[in-house]
Amino acid sequence: MNINKLVDVDHGLIGRSIFIDPQVYEQESKMIFARCWLYLCHESQIPRPGDFCTAYMGEDPVIVWRDTQGNVRAFLNVCPHRGNRLCRADSGNAAAFTCAYHGWRYGNDGKLEGVPYQRSAYNAEFDKKKWPLPEVAQLESYKGLVFATFDPSAPPLREYLGEMAWYLDAFFDRLDGGVEVFAGIHKWVIPCNWKVAAENFCGDNYHGPWAHGSAMNTGFSARRPRQNDISRFHLSPGNGHCVMGRQPNDTSDSPEVIAYEQEVRSEVRKRLGSRIDLVRPAVGTVFPNFACVRGTANSIRVWHPRGPERTEVWSWIFVDKQAPPSVKESIRLAGLRSFGPAGTFEQDDIDNWQECTQNARGVISRNLMLNMQMGLGEEQFDQDLGAWSSGFCISESNHRHFYRRWAKMMEATDWSKLGMGEP
Amino acid sequence: MKREVVHDIEQFLYREARLLDECKFQEWLNLLTDDIRYWMPVMGRRYRAFSKGIKILDPGRYEEREFSNEGELAILDETKDSLSRRIARLDTGMAWAEDPPSRTCYIISNVEVREGKTESEMTVHSKFILYRTRGELEQDFYVGSRQDVLRYAGGDWKISYRKIILPQNVLSQKNISNFF
Repeated sequence: MNINKLVDVDHGLIGRSIFIDPQVYEQESKMIFARCWLYLCHESQIPRPGDFCTAYMGEDPVIVWRDTQGNVRAFLNVCPHRGNRLCRADSGNAAAFTCAYHGWRYGNDGKLEGVPYQRSAYNAEFDKKKWPLPEVAQLESYKGLVFATFDPSAPPLREYLGEMAWYLDAFFDRLDGGVEVFAGIHKWVIPCNWKVAAENFCGDNYHGPWAHGSAMNTGFSARRPRQNDISRFHLSPGNGHCVMGRQPNDTSDSPEVIAYEQEVRSEVRKRLGSRIDLVRPAVGTVFPNFACVRGTANSIRVWHPRGPERTEVWSWIFVDKQAPPSVKESIRLAGLRSFGPAGTFEQDDIDNWQECTQNARGVISRNLMLNMQMGLGEEQFDQDLGAWSSGFCISESNHRHFYRRWAKMMEATDWSKLGMGEP
Repeated sequence: MKREVVHDIEQFLYREARLLDECKFQEWLNLLTDDIRYWMPVMGRRYRAFSKGIKILDPGRYEEREFSNEGELAILDETKDSLSRRIARLDTGMAWAEDPPSRTCYIISNVEVREGKTESEMTVHSKFILYRTRGELEQDFYVGSRQDVLRYAGGDWKISYRKIILPQNVLSQKNISNFF
């Protein structure tokens, strides 16, 4: 498989088989999802010792678990005995789980604590210490966002994020105390390749006024499409991460949230610095499958791959922890009315993404090279923003950055060959 | 409870379902009171507190509750205004999730009618199957229950509260673009 033939970023061309080929899917499972830093949960979901939630890293189920000492850890949610899923709930509080198949019990430090009939059924050499729950290779939090990787050779999270860290700050560290998520997760399965969803959240300002015209025109976002938006709309801070920024005074929120934003403006600026006067980060992607939105909805989401033609979306709504209750409620309602399975914005995306994926089944249509040439050659590195910036408010520059990174990761077996900080 | 009242309410619910099947959304909207709360919680998965699968560390923090509460995340949490805008959306010519429209068949069953908090209100529980077809051969089933409060006003019943329970942890349907 020649990835570079399928992803010709320099000419803005992309081969559709990357959305449908089981071999591509298998390779990205190994080269991307088993190696990259992947989002697990927000710390506010598991604040106390014993609190846990289940998550996925690619198709691998994991338990994110705050141990009795208070450290957040993540283990494969697989009993090493016969491979059964150990924990069947999606959240709660536990000192230990006992596998429903044969009763092996694991503590929140991942240690095997109990094996029924151990003395009589196993010989003396059986050592429980040799059979812990497999743990992720690295786990780190950034501003309350818990990420992990199965790759011990992956660079530290902060280095992996690079300049994207500031853009995450602009979502999650605007005020003292950061953010919290509302209890509950939107989880649903959409019939498309995960990259079709991911590329949309990386940089598809183009589709907004048309694909979401109905929601924009009926008051589900305060933002109206404009013809003359200035540049700096698409930003790529490197390493495949992407941001869609709006003008600093642009807003997509309810009057109540706009008033709140004005109140907190000076504190936000104090924390984030003068760059926040240049751009309002509105949509962000941490490569490969974490996305966040602020404005219209405040959403944290993950695109979990489920085979080439399916994606399981997990989406949370977040708010500044110190926002007043009325602002939190306004953000909650705006979020679920615009994004999520019944969201007036989100539902209009799905048929488009579905067809973009399923139409690649045909041999002829699969061999089409798709066009992502908008703004080709116009992006430039902007020192003030610390990112490659598109020349116009709509561009496919972020698509190209995302796929450039994707293609590199698909082939490079060594992180040192990936060029951290590059697009 | 008078049989005629139960019969009236059943007929009301069947008529409501038919209006939705026939895409007569404005007429459907007229069946709702101006102060309606219309919502659908999300469902999590929890071990029972007595489960031998879990050894709880902090019993004071443990909740068996599976469905989100009011004020937490929900799939729908609507007022008459937001419902009317969802309906207006369908008339913009750009509501791509419903254009061409999906087709639905609502089955309403297991209707239980109890007296409500006031004389003019009834608490009504019912089950639904919403069968939806879309595109070439897509079929979706949304199966669940509804907890309604019906208020008698202006010579007819109107819905003043509806909680829709869709008992699915991960929705297998690609979206929720219909009404319940």
